[in-house]
Amino acid sequence: MQQTMEPFGEGFITTFAPEFVLVIGLFTLMIAPNLGDGKFRLPLSQIRVPYLFGGRRGKLDSDPRLPGLFASFFFITAFGMALLSFVDGMNTTTVQVVDADNNVTNLLKVDEFSRTFELIFYGALALASVASINRLPATSRNDRTNAGLYNNRRQVDFYILLITCGLGMSIVALAQDLFLLFIGLELASFSTYVLVSFMKETKEGTEAGMKYFIVGSVASGVGLYGLSLLYTWAGSLQFEALTNAFITSGMEPLPLVALSMLLVGFGFKVSAAPFHFAAPDAYAGATGPVAGVLATASKAMGVLGLLRILIIVAAPEATDGAAVWLVALGVLAAVTMTWGNLAALGSTNPKRMLAYSSVAHAGYMLAAITAIGALNWEPAHMTESNNAALAIVTALVFHLVVLVCFKLGAFLVLSLLESEQGGHTLASLGGLAKREPMLAVTMFIFMLSLAGVPPLSGFMSKFLVIMGIVKAALIGSTVDGTIVFSELHWVWWLAFLMVINSAISVFYYLRVGLVMFFHEPEEGRRTSLPPGRSVRVAIVVCLVATVFFGVGANGLIALCESAANALLNVW
Amino acid sequence: MMDWISIPLVGFPLVASLALLAFVGNASPAARAKIGPTVRWVTLAVSLAMLAITTAMFFGSLDGDSMLDWDTMAFGDFNFEFRYMWIEMLGIHWSVGMDALSFPMVWLTTFLLPVTIVATWNEKNAAVYFPLVLMMGGALIGVFVALDLFMFYVFWELTLIPMFFLILKWGGKDRKYASQKFFIYTFTASVVMLLGLVTLYFMQPENLSYAGDWTGRTFDIPTLIAHSQAANAGGAWFLGESMQKALFIMLMIGFLVKLPSVPFHTWLPDAHVQAPTGGSMLLAGVMLKMGAYGMFRLPLAMFPHAAHHFQLWLLVFGMVSLVWGAIVCLGQTNLKKMVAYSSVSHMGVIMIGIATMQPLGWAAALFMMFAHGIISPMLFAVCGAFKHHYHSMEIGAMRGMAKHSPWLATSMMFAWMASLGLPLLAGFVAELMMFLALWHFLAAEGWSVLWMVGPAFVLAITAAYYLWSMQRTIFEGGEKTQPPESLHGAPVPDIADSEKLAMLIMAVFTILFGVMPWIALNMMNGWTVGIFNSLLIPILGGA
Repeated sequence: MQQTMEPFGEGFITTFAPEFVLVIGLFTLMIAPNLGDGKFRLPLSQIRVPYLFGGRRGKLDSDPRLPGLFASFFFITAFGMALLSFVDGMNTTTVQVVDADNNVTNLLKVDEFSRTFELIFYGALALASVASINRLPATSRNDRTNAGLYNNRRQVDFYILLITCGLGMSIVALAQDLFLLFIGLELASFSTYVLVSFMKETKEGTEAGMKYFIVGSVASGVGLYGLSLLYTWAGSLQFEALTNAFITSGMEPLPLVALSMLLVGFGFKVSAAPFHFAAPDAYAGATGPVAGVLATASKAMGVLGLLRILIIVAAPEATDGAAVWLVALGVLAAVTMTWGNLAALGSTNPKRMLAYSSVAHAGYMLAAITAIGALNWEPAHMTESNNAALAIVTALVFHLVVLVCFKLGAFLVLSLLESEQGGHTLASLGGLAKREPMLAVTMFIFMLSLAGVPPLSGFMSKFLVIMGIVKAALIGSTVDGTIVFSELHWVWWLAFLMVINSAISVFYYLRVGLVMFFHEPEEGRRTSLPPGRSVRVAIVVCLVATVFFGVGANGLIALCESAANALLNVW
Repeated sequence: MMDWISIPLVGFPLVASLALLAFVGNASPAARAKIGPTVRWVTLAVSLAMLAITTAMFFGSLDGDSMLDWDTMAFGDFNFEFRYMWIEMLGIHWSVGMDALSFPMVWLTTFLLPVTIVATWNEKNAAVYFPLVLMMGGALIGVFVALDLFMFYVFWELTLIPMFFLILKWGGKDRKYASQKFFIYTFTASVVMLLGLVTLYFMQPENLSYAGDWTGRTFDIPTLIAHSQAANAGGAWFLGESMQKALFIMLMIGFLVKLPSVPFHTWLPDAHVQAPTGGSMLLAGVMLKMGAYGMFRLPLAMFPHAAHHFQLWLLVFGMVSLVWGAIVCLGQTNLKKMVAYSSVSHMGVIMIGIATMQPLGWAAALFMMFAHGIISPMLFAVCGAFKHHYHSMEIGAMRGMAKHSPWLATSMMFAWMASLGLPLLAGFVAELMMFLALWHFLAAEGWSVLWMVGPAFVLAITAAYYLWSMQRTIFEGGEKTQPPESLHGAPVPDIADSEKLAMLIMAVFTILFGVMPWIALNMMNGWTVGIFNSLLIPILGGA
């Protein structure tokens, strides 16, 4: 069902229920911990009027654990609401403003695509927020030690930032206007800059936040400049208007420059080489759950932006044979995946290793996007090409969804180690199999899934991506009957490179297993890990999802396909 | 009626092992040591139940009348065929079935599982070891019964995980290096194969049977073979000449590394030397055969033109493996390494059998897969017992074993003799058939007779390295035996009762299939004649 509405028109709140849940959560977090018996005296009288704010706080609202519980609750509710909108079919809604001259400006659009991405964002943030309840341990309010004060007082700030991050991400998913998308991107980015450096008492935390902020803001600035160039050229930043502009005037130098600048902005978010330099530092300095959010939700946001912008440009009518960015993106993909894997081989900090593996995964995704650009849009190949584009976008969305399961899961396991000051060296994982066999097996399953070993979901996603690329590469050749190997489109070799790269990657994923199962524990790390019930719950959720989406991928593929369909509807 | 039986055959060991592992993982370390014996008995019971099922299948008593006779099945027929939709959009099915190509391998796996469990009865950390062995068995059976490319690949990779852990946790000194090398080597090869499979998937025409409702392509192996048969007919190349060659090479990379053939064999000696006895037995007995099985199942059946085109290469690979493996054996001082290289040499026999493109040669290769699957576990069981009791693997570390360890000496002699191809033992049949097939092929095609020099030469070398190593361990030493130094003067023990039992079982079956090879050979022959008559001869003409 299609419908349009004005901002804050009829049914606006029910349509955007997940987002409003987050807004309510934001206000709740601001207000709830400050409720107290504060009174003010009416001037010139002795009457004290209670205004319930400040003063002496009650037993419940002064509990430092409260913000974590609230935030987790609101994220899970938002996730549930977003999931609910899939039941009985998606109600595709466009929010638009119509001015006096009947010019329509689209602002937001709720469809399968944006909702699926919101599921990714809320899912990752919910897991991170649940896990952070342990990572930022809250003691009782009577704890007067320095660490206790630190931890208890900043609880609220942490979760508020998580929620604003979630709000920014939903705007990115919903936006129908490049400028709006950028605002959402910045809202989420600024939240993550602070989140990365949240552990300000450690040196790494501050350094990581600083680096991430500087590189990130430069990338944003370049992207914003590209945006303004695009606006000068097309006179609008609406997706529809841009698509039409590309169709009518084809490719000109000005938008080309603008696009490459935008690529820098989004390339930083997906940590594509050569814009990935801040990522390993940021991941290593941030706490486990935050690093997990950076590697999953924040990356999904970047891919979302890339997809939106590149697909506008690659619209069938706007291309003659191949999209203009084809070769550039292909080279970028090849460099990114190889660089990421080679760098990961040499890193001994598991978080840096995961960061580089995240770079490698970005390379795989870029390869898939490249394949979309390679599609042949001559009339004879139209249907096949449409199918291939659908397959590729489906694979990408699937990949981003399952990434939340095993990549975030791996970071959560590390965060459990962090609570005993480990997790920064591979050696601190040593002997985990002896200390906590189930945890070690879980971590190993996450590693195997990252490496793409069946029957785990990581294999399924890699398999779908390879399938998409191969399908795209074969399109030109399956029509006229005779197929010559040397005539295959060169994106097939990207699939080949991807396959070789995932073989290289096995080396460093296995090493984690070897250390856990083979090495002796470090001195002082011989007993079980600290309990941390909420992190463990989150890890189990990740584990179940990792295995389930590998074995029973049917439903998720259908969901991702509906999302891909919604995105490609613009063509 | 009983079509679903292949599913528990795969699923039961996997589920049972996972359940056992989960149970054991939750137990405290103290309790884990205590429940070891129970876990061992449970795994033995499961594996015996599986052996009972497959044996009943062999005698045809499972399915009453509707089961096809293994010996006379037509090519393309399957017993216990079962399909269940798994991922609808891509056309991925849980699709299983057995024909005369896969059934001997399935039976062999179920036969080796209990034998391995018995032979390594006293392995340390039993509560985890035995479930892993069971998981290995389930994954291996999965490879053999899979009739869906996706499932085939899933199980193909799944076998790596338990084997990786078996080597890593129970292996020798360099187990870390060996397990990594094993994993990376075979993983690399199989991802190349995966790319080949995906390319094949999209190259096929749309809307064959069991196609995905979104992609319109099928992963179904029988459907693909039937289609390739039609497409290959009359001199045409299925998928076109260059694509067929390219895909043939990509699939063969996966299978040649697994087999392994020289020059891709270097992971095997490392893995074998470091692996625990049970791991080696399954690795040599069944896992290597996955490579040969895969060749028969996919590239040889689907790309016969390419196979014919690369015939010389196949022969060269086989010949080099055969000769090189044997020569390297001569120089080994490590008992297990020698046996590992002899495996490489025997896999060369399989490759040569395939390269002849003769029904006899293929039947020889199939029988070699089977015979080597019984003999090589015995070789490794002997090596394992040697290591277990003497704490050394050096040939010549001890002399005169016949005096103080008659059981081990006899088993060793028997296994060695079986492996070098003594008549009336299973290995001989396969080697003889390979010789005849090669001879026939060379004569028929007018190739140089000099190709025969390699196998003849190897016969002599094989006898030499086996007899020499036997002479140095079993006999020499005269009246006073020389106990191994690694025992530090402790009394020299003979093998344990469980090991005796396992040796005896393997020896009995080696003799059984040596004296009455037709029990297995008939069905293999039926399959080969079937594939040649219905597929290869119409396509390649003559042969």
